[in-house]
Amino acid sequence: MFGRGRGGQAAGAAGRVVPLDPDRSLVTAAQVDPARFDALYRKYLAQVYSFAYHELGDHHEAEDVTERTFLLALDALPRFREEAPDEAGPEASTFRVWLFRIARNAIANQRRTLRRHPATTLDAVGEAAAPDDLERAVLTRADASAAWAAVARLPGDRRRAVVLRFVEEMSTAEIAGVLGRSEGAVRVLLHRALRTVARDLGEREETAMTTPAARGETR
Amino acid sequence: MTTPVPLEGVEIEALVTDRYLDALLAAAERREPDAPEDTAMDPALRSAALRLRDELVRVHPSFRFEERLARRLAEAAAGMRLATAVGGEGTILPFPGAAPDANRPMDRRPLLVGGAVTSAALSLAGAAFVAWRRTRGAPTDPMARAIRLARAARAVRDGTALELH
Repeated sequence: MFGRGRGGQAAGAAGRVVPLDPDRSLVTAAQVDPARFDALYRKYLAQVYSFAYHELGDHHEAEDVTERTFLLALDALPRFREEAPDEAGPEASTFRVWLFRIARNAIANQRRTLRRHPATTLDAVGEAAAPDDLERAVLTRADASAAWAAVARLPGDRRRAVVLRFVEEMSTAEIAGVLGRSEGAVRVLLHRALRTVARDLGEREETAMTTPAARGETR
Repeated sequence: MTTPVPLEGVEIEALVTDRYLDALLAAAERREPDAPEDTAMDPALRSAALRLRDELVRVHPSFRFEERLARRLAEAAAGMRLATAVGGEGTILPFPGAAPDANRPMDRRPLLVGGAVTSAALSLAGAAFVAWRRTRGAPTDPMARAIRLARAARAVRDGTALELH
């Protein structure tokens, strides 16, 4: 059932070793009995949620996307096959990649909805309602999320590639499967993203060093 | 025979970066602070990669959300099982015995022959039943004919017979 044909042909023709999907037994069990989908859900909940949160920047939106992703995955699971485009490499043919492709589409739909119906997030309201803690919050954010802010400023697929590589610790082949690009293209995406982030962080540090506070000047 | 396309400068740099990221993430699994130094790697990129590894963390959903979605999925799964039970999502099971082989069309013949034989047997039984009914519909027994004539005469006498034009 899984990977028949493509994997066999590839292995036979080019001597390429096709790795097994580590989730194969869980997927097979869930295809036979949908109630067994719970194991896959528990395993990937945090990953999908985290990906959605890093993409959308809001917990409620991330919850919506996560819910939609798993409901769609459960519904489509009987039709799931370990298949991926050849250029994406053998590692792209896994349940995890398939699930993240669903998540990516759900995020894109959510973004479209948000563009049509913009709304202030509760997180933003919470931030505005705590002025006494503002200084600490600014210091913490400036320090801890400078890298995250630099990533958030990256264009779509570069940002997604960085999040999948660093947060989800996916291989280049897996990212290629999720984004529907070749491994080479993903490598270049990541390299350019890293260069942009490095430049951005360097500029911020330079700016911080030239401010009066950083030089120890007092009014 | 095709010759391999030479990699451009950015692709070579991207390969070096990718190799470093692989080593960096593997080092994190071993709880090591950094990957072994690679002289080909740009120090600025290396520094940025280290910061991203340390600062981009996985965000977990709330326990309440996790359990609520788990319940919803369980309900959806129960609905799918019900649909399967009534044939909504049924699967075709092979006949017990010899395993079907897609490369051998002969494996499908028992099903076709069985169906044809059953259909022919039903047709013959139907024809025999119709013939039997016809012979019974017009009995030749003199007693039966007499009873029918008497019943018809009584109907004419009582005025309950149908008028046929």
